[in-house]
Amino acid sequence: MRIAVVGCGAIAELQHLPALAASRAARATALVDRDLSRARSLARRWGVARVAADVGEVLGEVDAAIVALPNHLHAPVAGELLRRGVHVLVEKPMAPTVAECDAMIAAAASSGATLAVGLEFRFFDSTDVVRELLAAGLVGPLAGFDLRQGVIPRWPFASDFVLRKETAGGGVLLDYGVHVLDLLLCWLGDWRTVECRDDARGGLESDVELDLTFASGVAGKVEVSRTRNLRNSCRFTGEGGVLEVGVWDPDPEVTLRIGGRKAELAGRARSGGRAMTFGDAFTRQLDDFVTAVREGRPPRVPGSEGRRAIALVEACYARRRSLDLPWDAPPELTDWSERGASSAPVER
Amino acid sequence: MSEGLLGGALAGRRVLVTGASGFIGGRLAERLAIDHRARVRVLVRGVAGAARLARLPVEIVRGDVTDGAAVAAAAAGCDVVFHCAYGTSGSQRHRAFVNRAGTRRILEGASAAKVGRFVHLSTLMVYGRTADGDLDETAPRRRFGNAYSDSKLDAEREAMSWAREGRLAVTVLQPTAVYGPWGGVWTAQPLAALRAGRWVLVDGGAGFANAVYVDDLVSAMLLASVRDQAVGEAFLVSGPESLVPKATTWRELYTHFASMHERAGAGFRAAERLVPMSAEEALAHWKSHRRAVPRLHREIAGALVGARPVRDRLMATRELLALRELASALLPERWQQRIKARMGATAVGAPPAPDEAPILPLSPDLIGFFAARTRVRIDKASRLLGYRPGFSLERGMELTEQWARWADLLGTS
Repeated sequence: MRIAVVGCGAIAELQHLPALAASRAARATALVDRDLSRARSLARRWGVARVAADVGEVLGEVDAAIVALPNHLHAPVAGELLRRGVHVLVEKPMAPTVAECDAMIAAAASSGATLAVGLEFRFFDSTDVVRELLAAGLVGPLAGFDLRQGVIPRWPFASDFVLRKETAGGGVLLDYGVHVLDLLLCWLGDWRTVECRDDARGGLESDVELDLTFASGVAGKVEVSRTRNLRNSCRFTGEGGVLEVGVWDPDPEVTLRIGGRKAELAGRARSGGRAMTFGDAFTRQLDDFVTAVREGRPPRVPGSEGRRAIALVEACYARRRSLDLPWDAPPELTDWSERGASSAPVER
Repeated sequence: MSEGLLGGALAGRRVLVTGASGFIGGRLAERLAIDHRARVRVLVRGVAGAARLARLPVEIVRGDVTDGAAVAAAAAGCDVVFHCAYGTSGSQRHRAFVNRAGTRRILEGASAAKVGRFVHLSTLMVYGRTADGDLDETAPRRRFGNAYSDSKLDAEREAMSWAREGRLAVTVLQPTAVYGPWGGVWTAQPLAALRAGRWVLVDGGAGFANAVYVDDLVSAMLLASVRDQAVGEAFLVSGPESLVPKATTWRELYTHFASMHERAGAGFRAAERLVPMSAEEALAHWKSHRRAVPRLHREIAGALVGARPVRDRLMATRELLALRELASALLPERWQQRIKARMGATAVGAPPAPDEAPILPLSPDLIGFFAARTRVRIDKASRLLGYRPGFSLERGMELTEQWARWADLLGTS
């Protein structure tokens, strides 16, 4: 399968191109980037013959495209490709708004092309195992959950689109948040109510707290941050125990504590007998996409699934209030006269 | 500080802040944009470091302070420039280069852009080793003998010369030990050190800390950018040292940090983490442990490396970074590569029990620094800027603790 990589930023360089190079079923046949020198340098390194500044130039030469552009371009570019019958794997977040997600889904439906969303956490072994552990009721009926995800970014960004509202469409909730919200939706089903507090002061939020309730009645707290390194795990508390899983790690520890016992069962979910890497997740994602196209079946994360996390993010943004950060407030002044100090600054 | 004190003097003004992805510049950018309604532009090197700035209504421009073209573009159209950037990465030589060349470039850019006011953030360290007793701006500037202090001294001299020659309306601020939310050297680093080991209180911790809460320093910077009397002057900026009868000691400062861990349930009492020593004992401890540095590092690394290695190599905790910074301050440069290798991908584990926690040795330079009973006067800033610290140590530390708990620096929850 001939695949165009559209958008040659860090994720294309670090994950999509290596996954394509390792694939037997697909190969990168065109690299598209407004910055042609960037496209050329990656093309040289990965042995791709064709580069283009605009995706229109490679239409007709490719069967599918991986769209890894800044967020605001996902819907227009993927939509156009889908309408023309090009299969699309679009990077997360699917798009900043539900309306754009719907437009992409409609475009895919109109031509019959496949639309997959790049939520690669779905391909972690731990994601399936946790869903099964929860379904098996090992910790009893769920009483609540507490998810804390925070990483101070060290990502080698090739562009600064994530810092601007016009190009990013949202802050950390759209950037990191879609991953963990997608996991929760995958584990717990549809959500019912949400309250959102964030630190945005006229820009894009970098810290968010959610109170989130699911249709099942399970309620919990979600914290997402790109200014703090948090524990990066989700704790499910059931009437009969606690289940904890790492959420920013392709090979997380999964811990189970049952019946108030001190001892816990800790291990890792592995199907391949070795630790899974992010690279493995991207490889599985690509294989799934290619196979879905070949067999005419839906991919593991079709547009309708990618849309779910976006709908939740959109609801959060619509209801957002300010996060209470006491140190953020304009400073108050101390009255030194009450502290036994001289009433005026000491003059020499 | 209410906006009233500045009379809205910064509202609508175009302001450039360098170093805004850091501690002081970051808080300055927040207060300028939110409390003072300035039109803020920030010059940042990387995208990753700017996440916290993106929450503000500020214009984010990418570029290096040592790149003349980037600096000129950033300064264009600005009324005021605050220069807070300094070398924070790479070799000591490179950091010193950023301090010297970066300051020169930004002065040139600001001058070419006909910027009205320029506030240069310097440091108390430009006075070198300070004597006991009162210190004010009439004291001679002296080399301390390390790359940071000496290059900051050169940068300050350069900035002052532009003012003297009438080329730019420069004001220099010389802050003391700045602490507060998002702080590194005097906040995250002591917290990390006290978690990993025990801290030596030189002379029982009786030396004067001259601590200043970050918002007080920012208030002084804002005042310096609008007061006409400030042009061509340098100002020491400390906390309420000269407003209260008794100076803040290092013992008090470190007790605050250790108590934060105690209250957060770290499993030790604050006093158990603080080891009073005379200067001679501290020096002897340094000498006896210099050779044992690798072993000590195993101990610190052992304290930091939990049972769970971190798979995701993109991750590094702020606490770990802070401890590495600390190590680079305490240890000879030749050990630093080794530390880097050893502590490559690790997570913060449980803190070591009180009796197992290593006593972190202080270098002779630091021993001298912590022993000094220098009381930094802020009379000049008070007289010419109208600066008056608003934060007692207790109030500043209360906010710092709330932040540290939120930032997970007091143990993971």
